[in-house]
Amino acid sequence: MIEISTLSKTYGAQTVLNIEQLHIPAGQTFGLVGNNGAGKTTLFSLMLDLISPTSGTVTNNEVIVQNSEDWKTHTAAFLDESFLIGYLTPEEYFTFIGGLRGIKKEDVSIALEAYTDFFHGEVLGQKKYIRDLSKGNQKKVGIVGTLLSNTPLVILDEPFANLDPTTQIRLKNLLKEQASASGKTFLISSHDLQHITDVCDRIVVLHQGKIVRDEVTSPDTLKELEGFFSEQL
Amino acid sequence: MLSHFLFLQWKSFVRGAGFATGLAQKIILGFGWVYFAFVFTGLAFIGFYYAQDELGEDPLVFLSGNLIYGVVFWVILRYFLQKMPAVHVQPLLALPVSKKSIVRYGLSKTVLSFFNLSNLFFFVPFGIILFREEYNPLGVLGWWIAVGSLILATNFLNIMLNSVDRILIVVAALLAGLFALQYFEIINLAVWTAPLFMAPYKQPLWGLIPFGLLVLLYRWSFAHFRNKLFLDSDAMRPKKETHRVADLNWLDRFGRIAIFLRNDIRLIVRNKRARVSVWMGFAFLLYGLFFMNDIYSSPVWMVFVGIFVSGGFLFGFGQYVPSWDSSYYPLMMTQNIPYKEYLTSKWWLVVVGTLAGMILSSFYVFFGWETYLAILAGGVYNIGINAYLVLLSGAYTRTPIDLTSTKNAFGDKKSFNLKSLLLSIPKILLPMFVFYVGVLVHSKGVGIAFVALVGILGFAFRNLVFGWIEKIYQQEKYQTLLAYKQKNA
Repeated sequence: MIEISTLSKTYGAQTVLNIEQLHIPAGQTFGLVGNNGAGKTTLFSLMLDLISPTSGTVTNNEVIVQNSEDWKTHTAAFLDESFLIGYLTPEEYFTFIGGLRGIKKEDVSIALEAYTDFFHGEVLGQKKYIRDLSKGNQKKVGIVGTLLSNTPLVILDEPFANLDPTTQIRLKNLLKEQASASGKTFLISSHDLQHITDVCDRIVVLHQGKIVRDEVTSPDTLKELEGFFSEQL
Repeated sequence: MLSHFLFLQWKSFVRGAGFATGLAQKIILGFGWVYFAFVFTGLAFIGFYYAQDELGEDPLVFLSGNLIYGVVFWVILRYFLQKMPAVHVQPLLALPVSKKSIVRYGLSKTVLSFFNLSNLFFFVPFGIILFREEYNPLGVLGWWIAVGSLILATNFLNIMLNSVDRILIVVAALLAGLFALQYFEIINLAVWTAPLFMAPYKQPLWGLIPFGLLVLLYRWSFAHFRNKLFLDSDAMRPKKETHRVADLNWLDRFGRIAIFLRNDIRLIVRNKRARVSVWMGFAFLLYGLFFMNDIYSSPVWMVFVGIFVSGGFLFGFGQYVPSWDSSYYPLMMTQNIPYKEYLTSKWWLVVVGTLAGMILSSFYVFFGWETYLAILAGGVYNIGINAYLVLLSGAYTRTPIDLTSTKNAFGDKKSFNLKSLLLSIPKILLPMFVFYVGVLVHSKGVGIAFVALVGILGFAFRNLVFGWIEKIYQQEKYQTLLAYKQKNA
């Protein structure tokens, strides 16, 4: 699905990301972990062509992201609130996103029913604009927007942050369900080691822009990661 | 304390996204300043001796007699063009900075505006001439104080006009009333007010009254903003607008572009800044009326008017494409939207707005077919050429517009200001030139035809130009994304 070779990003003298090689196969639930400034968001932004790499390329489903816009058809992403349109209601936002993906308004409404639990009655039918929702509810809108898009690739930056405990657990179930049922590829970053090891098949640890660990999730992974990050300090 | 604020101001300027373009604009503005300095100073000299030698009147009495018109004009001009000061208040609230000094800083920033300082270029030379012509020095000082206080008073009045709608309505009604009284010759304002403006010269102590007015208005706006510096006051918190339902299903017939048009219409309906820009478009429709008397004496102005009348929406709204989408630009860049489609939808919006302007301005037929044809030609030119230019300059403007946040008590809520007016000058001068060529070749009619022809030619090369603009947007993409991240720059 994703192929990265000799990708780097440098600001002035500081290299914030430097990845020799990274291959993410289709259908994988890929977890990205790292402290602040490790380069997680930079990596996602490069994958989405939001920033330009200093060297190297990202290939998304055989499309070189830096050269062509064709990757947009099969990729959905939610990095932060700049992926939301504040003056729309959540319903209008979903219709907009759906419309861009060629999903009819009625089908969007049907698809939304699956997320009733996740929204917890706080998002739909409120007659509120997204800008007037709380941070947590805004996040729910953004996440569901990507899931609705029905794209083979979904990129989520720290989806668990800002969510209440109940919703965090529901999100975990939702992601696991979708990953196993639809064969979607998920790229997820998080600071929450517990959640990310629960959800992901594979965990990659970034430190100072470099991949320092890359392993398939096993029952021991959480312990190892905790050990790794406490030594870092 | 002041040094702290100035430090923040300087940093936000230097580190702002639009620093380079900001600098270029500052240079253009600098030239504007020099120009106005010359004009105003010249006006002081010429005005003085013209009144004295040609009209045979005492220049001071003459000026004082007409000052009321100047004051009214200045109030109106300020309201439409003066930018409101922006102080990013929120992070300061929890810091050991007294709210008083925040407000004081915000208010004093407005004093440095062009609309205050430019007056110096007129009134200082004028006063110096008065001294040299051996007017009573003490009287001149009193007069200066009175006029200076009045100018600053209109500054603070303008702040209140911008922040409280009720005051705006009252003042507008008052001005309309005065206008009616003058127009129907019930009273002659100049005759009535001349003694008032002359009084400070005859007895400098009268100068204290305008000064008192200034103090009063200052304290009023001070108290107004002081009371607003709470996080939950209306000024700091975006008003939760009642949900305006609009399905806009009728747009569906436009196919895929409907998805974007729907959003843009909602953008306009639901955000004050965008709404104001559209209202400005309507105001521009009437703009031509000011010119109806002189229009035949200087034909080149016909095109000037034509461009403006139909292009109000284009200049008010189109100028800020794609900045309107700045708060969710990353979404637009990662969604399933090719650049071309995005640009096309914006282009259509501007074109529809211009067409609406062309239709709505049909009442200009009453001023003769030639006038309306000039407006139509201007409209065609706007669609054919200026619609591209607006998109093109949008690629470089990169001023983020923060729709969601009115967290600023001193927020700049207007999208239309002096700066954007200056930026539109090139878009107007070119068609005037084309028209002039037509006039030289044959006649006004040919000039109008030339302008329309250039517009049609531009329209014909649509695909070519779009490909070109698309490339520029692609090149500027990363820069633009970076710039839009800095919301409060």
